[in-house]
Amino acid sequence: MQQNQQQAYDRGITIFSPDGRLYQVEYAREAVKRGSASIGVRTDGGVALLADRRIRSSLMEPSSVEKLHKADDHIGIASAGHVADARQLIDFARRQAQVNRLRYEEPIGVEALTKEITDNIQQYTQVGGARPFGVALIVGGVENGDPRLYETDPSGVPTEWKSVAIGNEREAILEHLEENYRADADLDGAIDLALSALASAKEEALDAEGVLLSTIDADEGYRKRSDEEIASALSELDLDTDEEEEE
Amino acid sequence: MTNDFDLDPTDTPNRIHQQCSGDAYAPELGVPPAGRGGHGGDRPNASEASENGELKTGTTTVGITTADGVVLATDMRASAGNLVASKQAEKILEVHPRAALTISGAVSAAQSLVRSLKAEVRLYEARRDEEMSMQALSTLTGNLLRSGAFFIVAPILGGVDSEGGHIYNIGPGGSVMEEEYFATGSGSPFALGVLEGAYDEEMSVEEARDAAARAVNSAIERDTASGNGMLLSVVTAEGVETEQYEHPTEAL
Repeated sequence: MQQNQQQAYDRGITIFSPDGRLYQVEYAREAVKRGSASIGVRTDGGVALLADRRIRSSLMEPSSVEKLHKADDHIGIASAGHVADARQLIDFARRQAQVNRLRYEEPIGVEALTKEITDNIQQYTQVGGARPFGVALIVGGVENGDPRLYETDPSGVPTEWKSVAIGNEREAILEHLEENYRADADLDGAIDLALSALASAKEEALDAEGVLLSTIDADEGYRKRSDEEIASALSELDLDTDEEEEE
Repeated sequence: MTNDFDLDPTDTPNRIHQQCSGDAYAPELGVPPAGRGGHGGDRPNASEASENGELKTGTTTVGITTADGVVLATDMRASAGNLVASKQAEKILEVHPRAALTISGAVSAAQSLVRSLKAEVRLYEARRDEEMSMQALSTLTGNLLRSGAFFIVAPILGGVDSEGGHIYNIGPGGSVMEEEYFATGSGSPFALGVLEGAYDEEMSVEEARDAAARAVNSAIERDTASGNGMLLSVVTAEGVETEQYEHPTEAL
């Protein structure tokens, strides 16, 4: 019993450890690191969201792996970590986006939507009987014509980025992004940087089926890119599977 | 149902337990506060108003289906008794990438209804990655009116989906009747007179456009509550195209 009391901070999310940490929230961050990577790149031309898609079996339908989500016409969200937790937050975001249009007949801002999401996440670090979300999100979109990019983490902190990665190999991808980022690139430049950053962290070559790509810009809003578009971007960058090598 | 319209400071701590909605008929995003319960306040709800003959609709709106799309047309006068309250009332409003609503009845209710529909349509599309069918959109519109939140409107819903063009006469109490052609508002008897003669199952979009313009023009000539120009929308698989005519004869 005595021992249980001493270790309560390890299990209860609302209990601080003696050095002021919330262990369950930190464990939730570990869950994010185990998820396959997602990348967001913001340039003057718009935002590119890229997700690594793990296909565990040839019997699985690849299209059922959802890692990029349309939140509204002008905002997309990428996730890393627990997929089921992500779905709850995505649906929350979609509802909030439409509530904003109902209330004000204006599209919600990227910053405002991100903070609605993180305020919701924060509740799950402070209310008893709940568990934190084991997921991080990248929220990208266009606000008053300007591209914006945010990250949410399991503690409920919103952070704005020029370019960011979440999930597996985050550090390696961030390093590539830091070295190669250019703010004045167009939307194709954002796509190229995201693809090359993911490729830099992976040992095997990329193929169109193994990644998901969406873009958001002022003209077209959120647009999911087709496998053909991804394949042609990969081959232009020489990142695609080299057939001869495989044989 | 979550109270999305309430700015209640005590709302946040309970967010965690607000995920499930119990009411199958409730729209995902709720309804405006004044309409909750349907009989609140001193305003009559839709079914009461229509039974008492209080539903005065100083307007003319028309819808026609064809094989390739639908045509919607309205006048542009908003009336308040004998006063012309607006000479540039937009009575065709897009609610879906391939559907629009003509409005007759109370402008306040119609505008609020359109806002709700647009938000629900976007949410449906974001969640499912496919557009709402006209079956779904007309049912949703009927359910919203049936809730009593949006009183005194008699819209025509016109849209195109994978099955082709559809026109629905949506009653103020929430009835949904699919039609080949229809007219609502105080000028509708004059408009229907024209449509009875002009409508043909085989007609092209261009012919339907002409018939709709003549129907609204008749009502503008003979109904004192209709006038001030015309709006004409053609809805096809490509989307909604709306044109405005200061003088209704220009549309012919």
